[in-house]
Amino acid sequence: MATVSYNKATRIYAGQERPAVNELDLQIGDGEFLVLVGPSGCGKSTSLRMLAGLEDVDRGQILIDQRDVTHLPPKSRDIAMVFQNYALYPHMTVYENMAFALKLRKTSKAEIDRRVKEAAQLLQLDEYLSRKPKALSGGQRQRVAMGRAIVREPQVFLMDEPLSNLDAKLRVQTRSQIATLQAKLGITTVYVTHDQVEAMTMGHRVAVMLDGVLQQCDTPRALYDTPQNVFVAGFIGSPAMNIKTVPLSEQGASFAQMILPMQREQIAAASSGGGKVTIGFRPEATDLVGPHEGGLPIVVDLVEDLGSDANVYGHAALDGGSERFVVRTDRRGMPSMGETVFIKPQPNHVHAFHATNGNRI
Amino acid sequence: MTLAVEKPGPGTATPPERPSGARRASAWARRAPLLPALVFMIVVTQLPFVATLVISFMDWNAYYPDEIGFAGFDNFQRVLTDVNMRDAVWTTILLTASVVIISLLLGLGIALLLDRSFRGRGAVRTMMIAPFLVVPVAAALLWKHALYNPEYGLFNGALTWLWGLFGADPPQPDWISSMPLSAIVASLVWQWTPFMMLILLAGLQSRPLDVIEAARIDGATSWQIFTNMTLPHLRQYLELGGLLGSIYVVQNFDAVFTITSGGLGTANLPYAVYQTFYNAHDYGRASAAAVVVVIGTIIIATFALRTVSSLFREESGR
Amino acid sequence: MSVTDTAPVPATRTEAGEPRKPRKPRSGALLSLLAWVVGILFVLPVVWMVLTSFHSEAAAATNPPSVFAPLTLEGYRSFFTGGASPWPPLLNSLTASVISTIIVLLLAIPAAYALSIRPVKKWTDVLFFFLSTKMLPVVAGLLPLYLFAQNTRLLDNIWLLIVFYTSMNLPIAVWMMRSFLSEVPVEMLEAASVDGAGLAKTLRSVIAPVVMPGIAATALICFIFSWNELLFARVLTATVAQTAPVFLTSFVTSQGLFLAQLCAAAFVVSLPVLVAGFAAQDKLVQGLSLGSVK
Repeated sequence: MATVSYNKATRIYAGQERPAVNELDLQIGDGEFLVLVGPSGCGKSTSLRMLAGLEDVDRGQILIDQRDVTHLPPKSRDIAMVFQNYALYPHMTVYENMAFALKLRKTSKAEIDRRVKEAAQLLQLDEYLSRKPKALSGGQRQRVAMGRAIVREPQVFLMDEPLSNLDAKLRVQTRSQIATLQAKLGITTVYVTHDQVEAMTMGHRVAVMLDGVLQQCDTPRALYDTPQNVFVAGFIGSPAMNIKTVPLSEQGASFAQMILPMQREQIAAASSGGGKVTIGFRPEATDLVGPHEGGLPIVVDLVEDLGSDANVYGHAALDGGSERFVVRTDRRGMPSMGETVFIKPQPNHVHAFHATNGNRI
Repeated sequence: MTLAVEKPGPGTATPPERPSGARRASAWARRAPLLPALVFMIVVTQLPFVATLVISFMDWNAYYPDEIGFAGFDNFQRVLTDVNMRDAVWTTILLTASVVIISLLLGLGIALLLDRSFRGRGAVRTMMIAPFLVVPVAAALLWKHALYNPEYGLFNGALTWLWGLFGADPPQPDWISSMPLSAIVASLVWQWTPFMMLILLAGLQSRPLDVIEAARIDGATSWQIFTNMTLPHLRQYLELGGLLGSIYVVQNFDAVFTITSGGLGTANLPYAVYQTFYNAHDYGRASAAAVVVVIGTIIIATFALRTVSSLFREESGR
Repeated sequence: MSVTDTAPVPATRTEAGEPRKPRKPRSGALLSLLAWVVGILFVLPVVWMVLTSFHSEAAAATNPPSVFAPLTLEGYRSFFTGGASPWPPLLNSLTASVISTIIVLLLAIPAAYALSIRPVKKWTDVLFFFLSTKMLPVVAGLLPLYLFAQNTRLLDNIWLLIVFYTSMNLPIAVWMMRSFLSEVPVEMLEAASVDGAGLAKTLRSVIAPVVMPGIAATALICFIFSWNELLFARVLTATVAQTAPVFLTSFVTSQGLFLAQLCAAAFVVSLPVLVAGFAAQDKLVQGLSLGSVK
């Protein structure tokens, strides 16, 4: 149980110009489940490995429970890690895999037995204790990897995309199991994933990274409601937010036929954007309206029927180019391909960003 | 795409915070496990070679130990103009090339045969491996006496039996005398084909079958698949087999020594050097010959090593 | 492995994990026959050797060959009891091969570790150096070694041979072990590091068990090459440290009826290699290709 701090932690690989992790500042509370998310190459795994001690920290500091661990080897940091490919020892049984770290620390046999059996029960691995990894399914191996971390009773859990090798159904199942487990054990957890759905459903807070730089660290709700820049806005939420750069008028954003009103401070902040402003509206915050209600006509390309509702994909001409849009609608009034429908963003749910630097205004 | 957080100044090469002492220590920690093996190799292989180099410039015959002196390039001159030495070079090249090429081709054919599953495939593979597992000098003896011998060897015995079926007089050639180098080549091919076959078979069995199935669907014939897909995939295995085989066959001593004792024009370089030193006791000349051999091998090895580096192409550093 | 595991299925296996076999063409029977014929042709000399070793000398020397002559141990008797006893050379070969293999492994495994798992900066260069020592003709070092042995009175001493065989096999062993060690997944080593294992513990408890098959293949190859070696053994040993292959060379210029004895001798001397090689065929392939074929 401990806090974790990244203080301007930086990692630069030799011969590369851009740091893999660029002055990361992150404060993680005791018992918090923090998710690091972002596209491939954003630095999330590297950040996790810096915390683990598997990557050097070129500048800055990393603290665990206020202790400076920046240059300590992994074994001195009191952390446990679950790897993407599980990294189980193939010649040891499940029991031995989980007991290995404890044996190294010369824990008593009775204590080892107690902890392993307890973790096995928690993860429903009791019957597999004497099996070797090659006799286990992917999901079972994943649980053994978690069990190996749990028995250590560390200060921090580190998880590097542990679900990416599981099939979809198993992934959803295991996701909730991990979240429940963490809530029960209350151990500070840092979790890396590229899947924003995983991030949003599991984390107390989510840190979005891009190109080695932290974009925003907030609760899932805050990320969804108030994304701080265009990247976060487009990354969080599925299907992605409709984001378009449109001309700025004196009353607000000029979007096709509509004027989307903006507050005076916003318009002032946007005015340095070369007469344009970037607006975003989520598919679920957009309505399908009738033909004479001032909405933007789009031609439907594809309708994804999800059962309870549907995603409507279409395109429209806007400012001289063809733009694509997504709208979420319920079962009534589901359009068909080729039809023209009219969309209108709900006024209180439009996000505005600076046209050049992408920041939220 | 512009970003929310202001990027800090360009991250140029600022010295890392890790103390440089720790870096040096970790570099030595990485080297340490390598040192015993490396030192051992240098002492046991490089030092003798240096000694050979020194001796090659000396006039030293073991029969006249009082007359050891400096010979300059004399030994080299004699070696390079010595007909025997030049013949030995030619013989070595001929021998190695024949054995390697023939056993590669044979090995490829047999590997293709064994790539299918059929009854007794494991048994045939075991039978194929047997020749390689016979001690080389024992194999050479076997071929010399039990197979090639004109009076009671198996080959002439088989000829007698075969001709006897038609009631005729069998030809009973003296194999070794009539075709000495080919006789040695045959026995070496017998021993090395299994080696090539094993490597090529492993190469065949590592082919990605979905690519081949896709080709069949596209209408490729078996021959087209063989030339366009199988052979390119096998290329690195062929190179590996050829390289390894050459390294060993070039240095072959046992077969030449046993079957012909280097006579009848079959003396290859190892045998020639052995002769010069062991029998003639002319140390200076033997050393010079050895140096010439080494230089020649280095030239060839440079080409060979480039092949090996292609085997490394996919490996990434850790 | 259950079907829910989504690790990618290699193209050489079906969905259920079974090895995929290409379909047999219609000329199958003919090709199978051909394979059998080729196999039999290749093993024929070996079979002939074993068969002849169990014939009497008279029967062995007939033309045409008497395949079905009665079996006898005459050849073996003359090999073991007539003339010099082969037991000391056999023992010497065993000693030299086993001990040099052990030393090779002790030197090669750490070296391979320093070339794969925690590599030194110029590991490719070092690797090429090792291979290049193998490519250089051993005859280049023959004379100095002989003179050295002569002057230090180490001629005819088995330990000199052991040292030489170690240097002969070390490059191969380093290459093979490096290839096997590079197969150990990095993640497993990281997990061990996070679990708290230091270098020695990682080597012993995590790496060694996983590469044990590789170690076995390396040991097999080193043993075989040491056992087979003739040139240096002949030059550097005489009577005391004589190895089995050298002992066999006494048959090179034999006269008179000796074929059965020769075959017995050849078979006995080859037996350890035959047994080891047959017992570990797969390891043989791995070893011969320096670990690049698995």
